[in-house]
Amino acid sequence: MTTLSSFTTGLPLLSVLIFSPLVAAAGAALIRSERALRWWTLVWTTAIALLSLPLWWRFNADTADFQFTEHTAWIPWLKIDYSLGLDGISLLLVLLTTLITPLCVLASWRYITSRVKEFLICLLVMETAMIGVFSALDAILFFMFWEAMLIPMALLIGVWGGPRKIYAAIKFFIYTMAGSIFLLVALIALRLQTGSFSIPGMMGQPYGATFQLWVFAAFFISFAIKVPMFPFHTWLPAAHVEAPTAGSVVLASVLLKMGTYGFLRFCLPITPHATHVFAPAILALSVVAILYGGLTALAQSDLKKLVAYSSVSHMGFATLGIFVLNINGLEGATMVMINHGVTTGALFICVGIIYERLHSRELAAAAGIGRFMPVFMAFFGVFCLSSLGFPGTNSFIGEFLVLAGGFAHSKLLVACAVPGVVIAAAYMFRVLQRVAWGGTANPAHHELHDLEFREIVTLLPLLVFVFWIGLHPQPFVHAMHATVVHLLGQVGHALPAAAALP
Amino acid sequence: MTPVQLAIVTLLAPLASAAVIALFLRRAGGLASAVSVLAATLIAGAALMLALGNFRFEAAHEWFQLGGLSLSLGIKFDDLAALMLSVVGVVGWCIHVFSLGYMRDDPAHARYFGGLSIFMFSMVGIVLADNLFMLFIFWELVGFSSYLLIGHWHEKQSASDAAKKAFIVNRVGDFGFLLGIVMCYWSNGTVNLTALSSHHVFSMLIPLLLFCGAVGKSAQLPLQIWLPDAMEGPTPVSALIHAATMVAAGIYMLCRINVLMVPDALTVIMWTGTATALYAALCAITQSDIKKVLAYSTLSQLGFMVAAFGLGPTQFIYDNFSDPKIGMLLMQTGVGAAMFHLSTHAFFKALLFLGSGSVIHGCHHEQDIFKMGGLRTKMPLTFWTFTIGVAAIIGFPYLAGFFSKDAILYLAYANNRTVFAVLAFTAILTSLYMVRLWKLTFLGAPRSDHAAHAHEGGFTLTAPLVILAVLSVLGGYTSLYPKVFTGVFSLIPEAEGSAHTVIVLTSLAVMLIGAVGAFALYRPAATDSLAQKSPGLFGALTALKESFDAVYDYYVAKVQQRFAMLLNFLEQIFLSGLIVRGLAGVAGLFGLGARALHVGNLNVYVYWFLGGLTLFWACAAGLL
Repeated sequence: MTTLSSFTTGLPLLSVLIFSPLVAAAGAALIRSERALRWWTLVWTTAIALLSLPLWWRFNADTADFQFTEHTAWIPWLKIDYSLGLDGISLLLVLLTTLITPLCVLASWRYITSRVKEFLICLLVMETAMIGVFSALDAILFFMFWEAMLIPMALLIGVWGGPRKIYAAIKFFIYTMAGSIFLLVALIALRLQTGSFSIPGMMGQPYGATFQLWVFAAFFISFAIKVPMFPFHTWLPAAHVEAPTAGSVVLASVLLKMGTYGFLRFCLPITPHATHVFAPAILALSVVAILYGGLTALAQSDLKKLVAYSSVSHMGFATLGIFVLNINGLEGATMVMINHGVTTGALFICVGIIYERLHSRELAAAAGIGRFMPVFMAFFGVFCLSSLGFPGTNSFIGEFLVLAGGFAHSKLLVACAVPGVVIAAAYMFRVLQRVAWGGTANPAHHELHDLEFREIVTLLPLLVFVFWIGLHPQPFVHAMHATVVHLLGQVGHALPAAAALP
Repeated sequence: MTPVQLAIVTLLAPLASAAVIALFLRRAGGLASAVSVLAATLIAGAALMLALGNFRFEAAHEWFQLGGLSLSLGIKFDDLAALMLSVVGVVGWCIHVFSLGYMRDDPAHARYFGGLSIFMFSMVGIVLADNLFMLFIFWELVGFSSYLLIGHWHEKQSASDAAKKAFIVNRVGDFGFLLGIVMCYWSNGTVNLTALSSHHVFSMLIPLLLFCGAVGKSAQLPLQIWLPDAMEGPTPVSALIHAATMVAAGIYMLCRINVLMVPDALTVIMWTGTATALYAALCAITQSDIKKVLAYSTLSQLGFMVAAFGLGPTQFIYDNFSDPKIGMLLMQTGVGAAMFHLSTHAFFKALLFLGSGSVIHGCHHEQDIFKMGGLRTKMPLTFWTFTIGVAAIIGFPYLAGFFSKDAILYLAYANNRTVFAVLAFTAILTSLYMVRLWKLTFLGAPRSDHAAHAHEGGFTLTAPLVILAVLSVLGGYTSLYPKVFTGVFSLIPEAEGSAHTVIVLTSLAVMLIGAVGAFALYRPAATDSLAQKSPGLFGALTALKESFDAVYDYYVAKVQQRFAMLLNFLEQIFLSGLIVRGLAGVAGLFGLGARALHVGNLNVYVYWFLGGLTLFWACAAGLL
């Protein structure tokens, strides 16, 4: 049974989106000139971004069914299918991916000077894998994309990274690989129970309680490493610090979301009972992540490390929202995922801009550049404010929803998490202050030139989204609403094991 | 233009001004200031039109709906908002005009006026917001614009530190505010102010959490530490933001949510305000910086307002739930007294700050009162207007402060005699430190070159002083206000001057004791008379002032930063080092061991093979 229930033109849109970057990569392999390569990739990724827009227009937000589905038998004797589809949550993440990739190309325009071709090919392969992960509805297809992502990412870090790039790349690779093994085990266990690798088919099955616990535990290790949740996060700062700008951006904006996406796609609907059992512990870990990430960020003098630790804190809000298991929490968590993608991606681009000019990521070296780069400072200031959850910017909406959801779940939990908001102000203002106004001891900054056109073009879309989501979040929330309601139905509301934290 | 449109224009005009300045006029300071002042004029005009035209309306537009949480962008323009908007508009306009003269030589003219416009936008937003969520957005925005303006002279390390401190300390209060909003939404299902007033859950936690926001913004104990430091900003900013409007926003917010109050919460609020009033007045006595004296005086007066709000209903309310209307009515007296004092204080404190700005401008940025003196003849207009301001704040009969302070004292007298005694004593101190400031600054002989060569500023510097002086004289006569404000003013207890003998006598006595004490004690000299005559007392007061700063500095430098360093250290050593690398090391050891077995010598392999075979046989035979 082969069905292509896309839209009227019959174009399998998701497949086109997934494989266009590969086509572009193949084309890039034939191009010699670096300049032409850059333009080629930029045009392709931009075209892919535009091509993903019909997803947004044609998506029917009133239903929780998977849409744009494609279904073809792939390896029939193992019952592995080529099966794709989007719901409200994955739709937003696919769009985030297609938005971020061209910006990565732009951000690497001058940053990458060696092996340009290989770099751009890696980036394009990444895009294929990322879109694939979010749209796969077959467990093996999902796993294949999931693993396929590791190689180009490890290469991005290991080849174009900083001084300790090999260490960081290996740590990243082994860490995530270790998690993937558990993921594979869990998927095979589910296959043995259900008889197919179809992800929707795995949902809502009457698995035994113990089975659920084991499957959940395996999923959890894999996804918690990816998020990364405390205490599995140590690969993140290492990878971020060494990665080139584009690598950091992809890592922060998209790759981390795969962990939380995994929770939403696998843990909640497939193992609802285990979700309720483990939720209190995961909530506690989330609160620890929020505070720990924030405090550690406060102690960093390396800008990239600081943003990396702030990611740990922000993703803590996302996992907190997911595991309070109510509508506000889940919608908030999804918003936090998108917002973190926009804001932290932008912050990494900003740090990259600083690095290109100063060849240092030290906060002390960057002190006082704001005076000579007012346009940059305006962008950077907005993104910093967004990162600390300033009202009117995107992050505030997400964090507010998560807190509202958390409040309905446990007041204590929220009371513990909210100091994270104050800490966020402390570390972000530390940066903002130093960069904008600090250090008259850096006279060399006189020669710094402000943002050029290309850099403004890189940051502007993200700035638009900061305010768009911050001031008019309705369309984004609307897109996922039916999906989240459906998901809540799947995970069930009140099981006896779901006793809230005190 | 409908009133709603007019209100929207009032809100958006300063935003447009800020945007235009930021985008196009960064290097055109003169034009930027013109645009900003124009926006301020528009606000003042529109505010008065709306208030005096007796337009009262509510308008809301649904903003978004998130999983049952419905939020609207709305305007609630009631009597309270009308009064507040008029105060903000008029005082804001005066200060914009003053800034024209005061900041004329500043190289970053445009940034300054852009900041003022952002501030006006946020402040008008606070006044008009019809729900707590929207209020919070503007609440944070005023915090941010205050950050920008305090740090205006960021080359000074102290200024940029003060800006950061202000923002973060405010954020501490805001985190309670945010929790309060979340909780209010969670237990009432709405954060709309009007909807809340008709139906809400009685809880002590909600008003107290919301009060946290006011503690931060209105600088009440224990979050008062940021306000004196905020004086690093340009003086007009201190007048506008840190005296007349933004810091009063906390009181305004309390009045907005007074329906949520319960008696226990009000008691906490009352004592917080009373303690702040006393503490700040004690601190003010030892200050030598003209702006710091005024800053502590502002803290003290804010304490009066908060106390007044808390005092309103303590005795009567909710005695019986069967008739909540009686409770409501009595409760409002606190609102009336607090808003009355807020308005008069906005006039005379803005006047005093602008007066001090005029002095600082005249003395070439000398701020130490012990290096001034003799300015009475050098700067007569400033002297006379400043004198009116001082008279108003110490409660000189028939000036603005006299009426509003009496209303508060009356409330205290009627409700809680202890609070009454503390506030009366605080009033003595107010009179003492204000007269001290006035005498040291203006009387005697000049004590420095700057003071000797002081001169009056231009028209833009003096005109606002005169306007505010007139308001400080007349602002206390509620009967002079247009009828449209009666909605709030009818709530004031004894607004026309107290007929109560005890109150009148007390109020006159405390003013006289303080003023005479200051005249007797302080001589126009280069040193503090109190420090000479009673070093112990002076030292104790200084220590009192220093203690909070010391705790804050200790917390930031020692506790928080060290804890963060410690966590980071543990992360590097344990999590990233010992555990993660340790695991890798263990795996590596296994690899090393396995490699040691493969030495490449055939004999060794044969031995291993034989050993394995033996083991296998032993297992199979059941020997092992």
